[in-house]
Amino acid sequence: MEGDNHQDGEAEGVQISDHSSESDPAADTLLGNHLLPDLAAKSDSSTANRNQTTKLHLSDVTTEEPGQNEELCSQLEAKLETDEAKVSGSRNDVSAHPADGGAEGNAVDNDQSDSGEFVVTMLAKAKLEEQGIGVKGRSSPLSEAGVEESPSFKSHRDEDVTADSWRQHRKHIFVLSEAGKPIYSRYGSEEALSSTMGVMMALVSFVQSGDNVIHSVYSEEHTVVFLQKGPLVLVCVSSSRQSEQQLRGELLYVYYQIISMLTQASISRIFEHKKNYDLRRLLAGSEKILDGLLNLVDSDPSFLLAAVHCLPLASSLRDSLSQILQKAITPNLVFSILIAKNQLLTIVQEKTVIEDSRLEPADVHLLLNLIGASSAFQAGEIWTPICLPLFNPDCYFYAYISYLDPPECTVCLLLLSTDKEAFYAVAECKRKIEEAMAAQNSLSLIAKAQLYSVSQVGVSDLRHFMYKPFDVPDNYRQLTQFTSPEMEAPYSSEEEKMRLLDLYRYMHSRIHSTSRPLKLIYHVAERETLLAWVTSKFELYTCFSPLVTKTCAITAITKLLRWIKKEEDRLFIRYPPKYSTTPNPSKSSKSSKSEQQDSTDNGYLSLL
Amino acid sequence: MKKPDVKVVLLGDMNVGKTSLLHRYMERKFKDTVSTVGGAFYLKQWGPYNISIWDTAGREQFHGLGSMYCRGAAAIILTYDVTSWQSLGELEERFLSLTDTANHDCIYALVGNKVDLTDAKAQLSQDSDGLSEDRSTAAAGDEEERTELQAAPASPVSLSGSVLRKQVTLEDAVALYGRIMRYKGLDETSKLPADKMCFETSAKTGYNVDALFETLFDLVLPSILRKRNEDKESPTVDLEEVGNKRSRSSCC
Repeated sequence: MEGDNHQDGEAEGVQISDHSSESDPAADTLLGNHLLPDLAAKSDSSTANRNQTTKLHLSDVTTEEPGQNEELCSQLEAKLETDEAKVSGSRNDVSAHPADGGAEGNAVDNDQSDSGEFVVTMLAKAKLEEQGIGVKGRSSPLSEAGVEESPSFKSHRDEDVTADSWRQHRKHIFVLSEAGKPIYSRYGSEEALSSTMGVMMALVSFVQSGDNVIHSVYSEEHTVVFLQKGPLVLVCVSSSRQSEQQLRGELLYVYYQIISMLTQASISRIFEHKKNYDLRRLLAGSEKILDGLLNLVDSDPSFLLAAVHCLPLASSLRDSLSQILQKAITPNLVFSILIAKNQLLTIVQEKTVIEDSRLEPADVHLLLNLIGASSAFQAGEIWTPICLPLFNPDCYFYAYISYLDPPECTVCLLLLSTDKEAFYAVAECKRKIEEAMAAQNSLSLIAKAQLYSVSQVGVSDLRHFMYKPFDVPDNYRQLTQFTSPEMEAPYSSEEEKMRLLDLYRYMHSRIHSTSRPLKLIYHVAERETLLAWVTSKFELYTCFSPLVTKTCAITAITKLLRWIKKEEDRLFIRYPPKYSTTPNPSKSSKSSKSEQQDSTDNGYLSLL
Repeated sequence: MKKPDVKVVLLGDMNVGKTSLLHRYMERKFKDTVSTVGGAFYLKQWGPYNISIWDTAGREQFHGLGSMYCRGAAAIILTYDVTSWQSLGELEERFLSLTDTANHDCIYALVGNKVDLTDAKAQLSQDSDGLSEDRSTAAAGDEEERTELQAAPASPVSLSGSVLRKQVTLEDAVALYGRIMRYKGLDETSKLPADKMCFETSAKTGYNVDALFETLFDLVLPSILRKRNEDKESPTVDLEEVGNKRSRSSCC
């Protein structure tokens, strides 16, 4: 597999990565330090030890010798230079040069772009090299067991990372440690990708050594976005047209999901203790949760809008459900959440907890994903620690999860406590909730709840919309929500849905562009016309049939906003109720609710 | 809530099939499961008694929780995968210490799952048989297999073939059972015999699964009765505390 020496200049790059992934971070910085001076001086000096390095495995961890690093550096540098010739000119975001590095903080500079291009080509070419060391050779307990347990698991993890189909995935996500150790890859096994990830880490350290931070790399077909959080490095290689900001937002979700399982504090502690720790040991079994998250991120606009979507429900029913949750409490219970069809029905919060900080949509997304990605939840009652990273990245809550309507398992109760030992007490709350719901026949009422059709709005040219009201001062602790009708024809097929979402993502990226933010976009696309509008009160994305006129669209939006105003009690959780489970006897679940109602005119929609 | 009378805990490395075993027993089905998070609580009606079963996550991530789930347990099912030598080793290295919080008279069962992958005997579905499969037959079947199969610790498992090499024999399990008993400080007279407490099962076909659970449930009955008596004396006793206060007599 080490083939002929002259052809695989690229493969050398891969070797380098192999090394940096094996070396401890000290070696990484070493690598960087050597790179800079070397860059100018040397060219293609060393091809000597190539074959040796090829055979190194991730597991054969050894401490790097500086000499070896030097050699690696020159290899990388040689590679960078050859690439430079190939790609220079196609770059457009030029700023600082690493040599005079440190001056300008953030932007991608020329050489980085080249090295990024290098990553992109590397991602592909490294594969040839890896064939030998990949999945086949080494059977980790992880992949091995996965194969037996679940075929779907197998198909992702065991994907051939040398195949074209692997390269053609729309969006790759990689997570690695600062020492270059692979932690997660969306497609293909991490082991097979260890050299690729090593290259990524080499890039990160290379730029870092110039007191700079690599943010992104653009090539014609791909956007590579880097995010460094503590000891973790997250990389997205996307061929979608999403903006860097959006992709970084998605990487952040991945990071948060990891935090939700391990907490930030424990991850820092682990890596402080042992720089080259293999985090997969702790995440083993969680790949499916990350896979599920990434699928949701691609298919559910909640993530794009950073808002939660609740199931439309008559406000009387929602209130009665909230009251049921409010009554079933036990000490240290902090959140009671009712979910149907993977959407929020209602959420009740502990009063004092929520006064300090609010529940962020992202935390709710992570919880929903955890439930969705774990079909094992469908029988029995789960008791598991979970961290809500935006609430507090360093602590665990204990989550009680149980379905209320087995065997259908569409209505799910989620109770969060701060007390590790509270399982039986919390399970008792579920009994109470179950009884109360049976008494009120809530389950059959919930079963009737569903998404609404855009036709209910009564605007003929309107095909779809997403409406997100902003918090207003009165109500700033309200969970950010959005509402959206079902995606109907012509957006009923998966491809068309994705196409519409892509259009929305494009509109969103224009609205939220850092360099040139927009308030209003009227976008005539090939098969539809879109209008996006952001004000201080709301953010709105609408999709019309292609023949709509601008005047028509504006009239339609006026109508739509009126309709939402009329329906808002049904479309949103208006007043998230609270309870008090602290010993402090300000027994005021009721009074807190009426207080809330006093401040009623929360200006959800004082539109137009 | 029906108060559980007794607690049974499933322990073992990830992917050995703990959830599948329980699912097979409770739902009479085998289906793909996903990795358990934390622990899952099930209540099983056994005659007049309510038996709570905790299916725990095998992942290292949740390791810290194990001792909590085990607190006050009357029986612990230590599960391994017969095709993975490592999964047996993990029981000793990682899981045995978690059982420290269990009752003093806790019963231990050692269960090698996925035996359908290695033994032709276990490949027939036994769903309807209930208890009919007795262990002596199973053990005898195993005896034959053992002569053919060489346990090859840590050798790579062929993933393509339908019949995998058995890495852990029943003898290995029995040896481990002996070590567990020594760890627990139980002498030969008070402990349950290894041949009775080491099982080989297949959650996929149902082989030996009912036998496992039902044997255990029968064995914890004395524990239930004793606890009921204690509860009469102090009717409001905390479920969690009962385990810790338990008398030290060893059962059976």
